[in-house]
Amino acid sequence: MGVITDKLPGVLEPLPGGSVLVTAVDQLINWSRSNSLWPLTFGTSCCAIEVMMATGAARHDLARFGAEVARPSPRQADLLVIAGTIVKRMAPRLRTLYEQMAEPRYVMATGSCAICGGPFMYHSYTTIRGADEIIPVDVYVPGCPPRPEAFFYGLLTLQKMIKEGESIRHPGERRRPVLAALPEGMTLDDIRKEMQDLLSHDANVTMADAVADGAHYSAELKDF
Amino acid sequence: MSVHVSTLQARISGESTASSPLSTEEYFVNMGPQHPSTHGVLRLVLRLDGETVREVVPVLGYIHRGIEKMGEHGNYRQFVHLVDRMDYLSALANNWAVTMVVEKAAKMETNERIEAIRTLVCELQRIQSHLLWWGVFGMDLGGFTPFFYGLRDREQICDIFEKTIGARLTMNYIQPGGVMFDIHPEFVKDVKAFLSYLKPKLVEYDALLTENVIIQERLRGIGRLSAARAIALGATGPVLRASGVAHDLRKSEPYGLYAQVDFDVPVGTDGDCWDRYWVRMEEIRQSIRIIEQLIDNIPEGKTFLVKPAAKIKVPAGIHYSHLETARGVLGVLLVSNGKESPYRIHCRTPNFNNLWCIGEMATGGRIGDLVAMLSSIDIVVPDIDR
Repeated sequence: MGVITDKLPGVLEPLPGGSVLVTAVDQLINWSRSNSLWPLTFGTSCCAIEVMMATGAARHDLARFGAEVARPSPRQADLLVIAGTIVKRMAPRLRTLYEQMAEPRYVMATGSCAICGGPFMYHSYTTIRGADEIIPVDVYVPGCPPRPEAFFYGLLTLQKMIKEGESIRHPGERRRPVLAALPEGMTLDDIRKEMQDLLSHDANVTMADAVADGAHYSAELKDF
Repeated sequence: MSVHVSTLQARISGESTASSPLSTEEYFVNMGPQHPSTHGVLRLVLRLDGETVREVVPVLGYIHRGIEKMGEHGNYRQFVHLVDRMDYLSALANNWAVTMVVEKAAKMETNERIEAIRTLVCELQRIQSHLLWWGVFGMDLGGFTPFFYGLRDREQICDIFEKTIGARLTMNYIQPGGVMFDIHPEFVKDVKAFLSYLKPKLVEYDALLTENVIIQERLRGIGRLSAARAIALGATGPVLRASGVAHDLRKSEPYGLYAQVDFDVPVGTDGDCWDRYWVRMEEIRQSIRIIEQLIDNIPEGKTFLVKPAAKIKVPAGIHYSHLETARGVLGVLLVSNGKESPYRIHCRTPNFNNLWCIGEMATGGRIGDLVAMLSSIDIVVPDIDR
């Protein structure tokens, strides 16, 4: 019992014959919710292998985070992991699945396709560019497909979010945890400018420049 | 009021009399697109009479991403990226299929080392795909242990791929003109260690699932597909071979280094779920044989024979090439007008044709066996819809 009571949110007052836990209801409820997320078995494409199957199997073991009880029915699940591309024909079904889940419900978008369309962003006439056009998303996990470890990081982020998150007085109001801060003296505009420079540089490549830049390629290129 | 009692045989063959007071009415059940046993977003519309399946109609399009149309907008190298996401369990074979048609059309040459590496990684991925299928098949039949065993051993292949290729699932490794990177210095050692690890595990698999009486009873005689119907429906791969047709492109039209290695093509007799199970288990053993013959003598040479950023132009005309993935024949038809991007590109994917066999298998059977039949075909839905 020691381990469990240590991790409970609140103050543990020792008394003769036991102890009394002084805590807030919100804290206790959020703590329990975050540690028993039941995911819906939902996977449309490649990400389902990595995110739903490999994580649940022996090596990575989703059970360590209390989220291994995968339910095929949305009515019994509270975590919707969008694993894979969402196309126009699937979009109404995804919305239906989301509506059928009971509150509080959490959504993770895993993989580039569920975030922005991924490799099918350009020239595809069916892909939805990001699942957040259909349903609200709490946590994004990038990758194509994301590694199981990346998925676990996303899951821990979601747990952190739930613990800090909504209260029973204001359901639905979620606070997102700040996971990364900008380095000192750096603004968002600086990053945007740097990325634009890099993109314009990458878009115009001549063979001469490529040889001059990449020393590792130049050795191979000499042979031709 | 009289009660009409029909025999089990009459019910299975679907000849129940409509005039009986206990006669049933046909009804429809919708299976999918959100269903744990359809391996993705496949939707099946079932016409049922009691528990007897009268008709199965697959409804497609829930993951249609327009990969063929997207191929017309990029160059050949970019299309290799997209086919990774079609049949993601045979990503390397998909890469190779596109590479093969481009190399054949543009008359690009490769060397022995490139072909050896391609053959090796494709056979490793065939084992990986069959291991995953084995785990999922066991899970669909109600046992959770095979899932853990199959994916535990699959992770080791993923590790080998990660060292050489850098990715676990969508590889983009085989490119026109070679392979993206040379193999990792530890590749040979790792593969040998894995093979010696896997061989006793296969015996363990047999003890766990293959020799299990419940599994045998559930699979034997279920979902029969005759050789004539399998050919007529265009089935390929283990589904066709289980029906007794020894068609394997690795044997009949050898590509890569398959002409130099010695291996058997496992063939079933009845074409039922058990044969499809057995053929795949045997294919794992044959893949091990192929790898063992090649792993010790990978020839020396370059691994990329064209410039990394070279623009590939394919002569105008229609080009076709095909190979054997873990699920069957993947053919790529390329219509070129001589420019850097294809005019039209079409993929003849194995899963699309294999899926339509479910109507032939399931009609007249029981609904409880439908999941076993679907799982024995081993479909990957994004490969069907593309």
